[in-house]
Amino acid sequence: MLAAQVLINALVLGCLYACIAIGFSLVWGVLNVINLAHGSFIVLGAYGAWWLYHAFGIAPWYALAIVAPLFFVFGYAIQRSILNQVIAAPVLVTLTMTFGLDLLLNNVMIYFFTADFRKLTLSPPVGSLSFGGVVVPVDRLIALVLALALTFALYVILRRSRTGRAIVAVRLDRDAATLMGVDVKSIYAIAFGIGAVMAGCAGVLMALIFPISPLVSTAYLTKAFVVCVLGGLGSVSGALAGGLLLALIEGVGSVLFGPALATTLSFVLLIVFLVVRPQGLMGRKGFE
Amino acid sequence: MKRSDLILIVLVLCLAALPLAGGAYTLRLGTMAAMSCILALSWNVIGGFAGYPSFAAAAFFGLGAYTTGILLGYKVPLWLSLPIAAGLSFALAGLLGAVLLRLRGHYFAIASLALVEVLREIVNHATDLTGGGMGLNIPVTAGTDIMADARFFFYAMWLVLLVTTIAVIAVSSSRLGFGLSCIRQNEAASQMVGLNTTLYKSIAFGLSACFVGAAGGVYAAWVHYIDPTDVFDILYSVKPIVMALIGGLGSSLGVMIGALLYLVLEEVVWRNYIQFHSAVLGALIIALLLFLPHGLTSLRGGLLLRRLRGA
Amino acid sequence: MDRTRRNLAATVASAACLVAAGLLASAAPAAADDVIRFGAPLPLTGPLAPEAIKQKQGYDLWAEEANKAGGIDVGGKRYKVEIVYTDYQSNTPRSVQATEQMITQNKVNFLFGAFGSGAAKAASSVSEKYRIPTIAAAASSAQVYDQGYKFLFGTFTPNDTLTTPLTKLVREKAPDVKKVAILARNDLFPLAIAQELEKSAKANGMEVVYFEKYAINTLDHSAALSQMKALAPQWIFVTGYINDLLLVRKQMVDQQMKAPVVSMIAGPAYQEFIDAAGQSAENISSAAWWHPAVRYEGKDVFKSTVNYVKLFRDKYKATPDYAQASASAAGAIFQLAIEKAGSIDPQKVRDALASLDVMTFYGPVKFGPTGQIVSLEPPVFQIQGAKPVVLLPAAIKQGEFRLGVQ
Repeated sequence: MLAAQVLINALVLGCLYACIAIGFSLVWGVLNVINLAHGSFIVLGAYGAWWLYHAFGIAPWYALAIVAPLFFVFGYAIQRSILNQVIAAPVLVTLTMTFGLDLLLNNVMIYFFTADFRKLTLSPPVGSLSFGGVVVPVDRLIALVLALALTFALYVILRRSRTGRAIVAVRLDRDAATLMGVDVKSIYAIAFGIGAVMAGCAGVLMALIFPISPLVSTAYLTKAFVVCVLGGLGSVSGALAGGLLLALIEGVGSVLFGPALATTLSFVLLIVFLVVRPQGLMGRKGFE
Repeated sequence: MKRSDLILIVLVLCLAALPLAGGAYTLRLGTMAAMSCILALSWNVIGGFAGYPSFAAAAFFGLGAYTTGILLGYKVPLWLSLPIAAGLSFALAGLLGAVLLRLRGHYFAIASLALVEVLREIVNHATDLTGGGMGLNIPVTAGTDIMADARFFFYAMWLVLLVTTIAVIAVSSSRLGFGLSCIRQNEAASQMVGLNTTLYKSIAFGLSACFVGAAGGVYAAWVHYIDPTDVFDILYSVKPIVMALIGGLGSSLGVMIGALLYLVLEEVVWRNYIQFHSAVLGALIIALLLFLPHGLTSLRGGLLLRRLRGA
Repeated sequence: MDRTRRNLAATVASAACLVAAGLLASAAPAAADDVIRFGAPLPLTGPLAPEAIKQKQGYDLWAEEANKAGGIDVGGKRYKVEIVYTDYQSNTPRSVQATEQMITQNKVNFLFGAFGSGAAKAASSVSEKYRIPTIAAAASSAQVYDQGYKFLFGTFTPNDTLTTPLTKLVREKAPDVKKVAILARNDLFPLAIAQELEKSAKANGMEVVYFEKYAINTLDHSAALSQMKALAPQWIFVTGYINDLLLVRKQMVDQQMKAPVVSMIAGPAYQEFIDAAGQSAENISSAAWWHPAVRYEGKDVFKSTVNYVKLFRDKYKATPDYAQASASAAGAIFQLAIEKAGSIDPQKVRDALASLDVMTFYGPVKFGPTGQIVSLEPPVFQIQGAKPVVLLPAAIKQGEFRLGVQ
């Protein structure tokens, strides 16, 4: 019974983790930029959902349609104005740049929203479903379905659309793509924009489940890191695999060794993965 | 010895005169500055010379702090505890380095980041030895007189800085330094011409850890109380990198000046913008990277002007 | 070669200028003579930021009231109150630095301790060295006060004064409760209080079937909760800060966990917890060092609890909780001690604090030998109808203990 419950928990949580990580993974894979502001992007999206629900009664699933384009513009602008200037610089420069961005964004959020924890409580509450003693919370289920839908949409965009294919081409070989006439700077900005959209949407969905505060951003960022390494970079399937694996490690580890050690376990595994299989579960050999 | 190394040594020696200039708070700032310089200079060995973006400083800072704290608790004198902490950090970093330094770029960065988390949690769980989440009380090592106390810890930290500086200069002008710069430029080629890259990198990683460990040790003795979240704070990893970037990667003098400059910026911003200091700091970091992409070393000739005009 | 040299010289010179500018900018402001300065290091940014706002509200209200009444009376001369704030970024080394900065640069006369047990403990080593009387308004763990410091005082009673009455109440009102499950945040205060509860539960013949710690920044507790649920505890006790507790509570509902008694420390005393948790806050029990329902007639500037609550509501349009009240009380206690000493000499004020035995809006104030307050009787309460209802002590009881948390 306990085993079944823990597995179900991990399955649901894993999809949410994937949703948190996917934008991060895309940006990392395509631009070779680790966006340390990713956690803050998610929190900003969560505030968007909270505000739309409390001010206008717009449910989070509709809020996605409002938040997504805003975040695209936001991400596109950041990439064009700031990150593209240093995109050719060593890894560290872009990393530090996004660290500065995160400081800025987080501080601004603390100022405007205060650091208080808010909660988007749906009324009436949606409750939980019970299958012979195994419980699944409905709001997580909703978030999961939406997360999967978003992920699938991203997958289709990357595979089918012209821009999407250009993104994939840049990811695989930047120089070849340039030679083929792809405008790399614009592709970078679009990819970062899409990454921001995924972060914002993840934020909207997480608002259903987790308390909202600028202070949660590091927790999201850490999860994104681990998921990306476990699953492999820049691919949709990698994020899903990584998310599920992480949730499983945390769930099983928590039952076997206690919740405090479960986090440690996930980090130890991360190091082992890096050394033994740096391309992650699903990934190809990654960037340097 | 290069001219810049000479300036570096002179700068460090000048710092020793600080107690003549100011009171206890100035000395506190001086101690913090010396600590930051140690962290930044150490990072430069692995990050600047060898080109490996390490985030592991916090791990060894915490390790050093806890080692020293525990040893002081067992009545081991400070002058003995610090070398032990440094040695332990060196050994652990060297061993881990042999494995982790096979990774490159972001992958190495993340592995080193995860190292911080793992060590923190280990300390958190070794409750009998470390007190776990309850923190560790550390017996008072210096006198109770304010100025004597401040001077003692300032000089302790400064001494570590001096040793770090000498070591860093020695590395940069030795075969090891040359080997590391070969590794940075082309690791595969260096390996091909018979350079034992793993050994070189491991030593570099060890060196970048040992002084950080000693600094952590001084810090622990200085504040009398440490807990895992404080000494394994990821900021100890991130700030040295920002400092090095401000100063210009690779050059020890540049890194040291970057560290001092960063601290001044941080202190001024922190005092004057109570609500917005981290935003201002963030904006400053972005601006610095945009307009001084090679740190202070890009301040030459009309480059800055051209850059400003171009942007 | 020449060029590099010039660049180096220019770099060094520009850095030196910046250092000099920085030091100039930090020149100390002169202290006016008819003002008493209080230093308050606060974690305005970082993980503890929500707590900083509460403390600041408490301090500000006291300063305002004290100044409205003409200031602090020191041997016939009136001094205005001025509070100097600084942000220590929820970072303990910073709190130590901020404390020293306030003493040496801002020339504060007295200090309020940093928030929370860890930072308060580290920062108190500095104020002790400078012999500046310090009142910690939010540090309860006995470990903070065990270093033999003479200038550190605290307005929270030790942790066991919260857990002992709670356990007593549960044993009286729910004698069937035998199995206790404890989930604690791995951090000084939450862990210390969980250990106290474990002790008092065992002393009362209960069995602790689950006792685990969770890491700071944990996002998901579902695995731990599922495991706990399988053990069918009758009393679930969770410690942490408000975000942790909201998260745990939400996931308990998700997992359809029910128990006769669910207690949490230290979130339910905050109105934000009740607002954010909504229906799921019902029947959660907790304990805190103060509650707006207590009734004291004090000799301090606020005069009575009723008056304090009214003043607070007028200023902030909200009901004060223990965190805000404790901050205000720290100020009011300083005022009483200074007036009693008739001097702002640190040693005299310290002695006045140590020998203080007085009634305030916050409750009777008397500090024990370690400097921690010993005279409070922390109320035990339960959320009923979206309001905290006091169950203990009997004198201010507002309702009956309700069993069953859905």
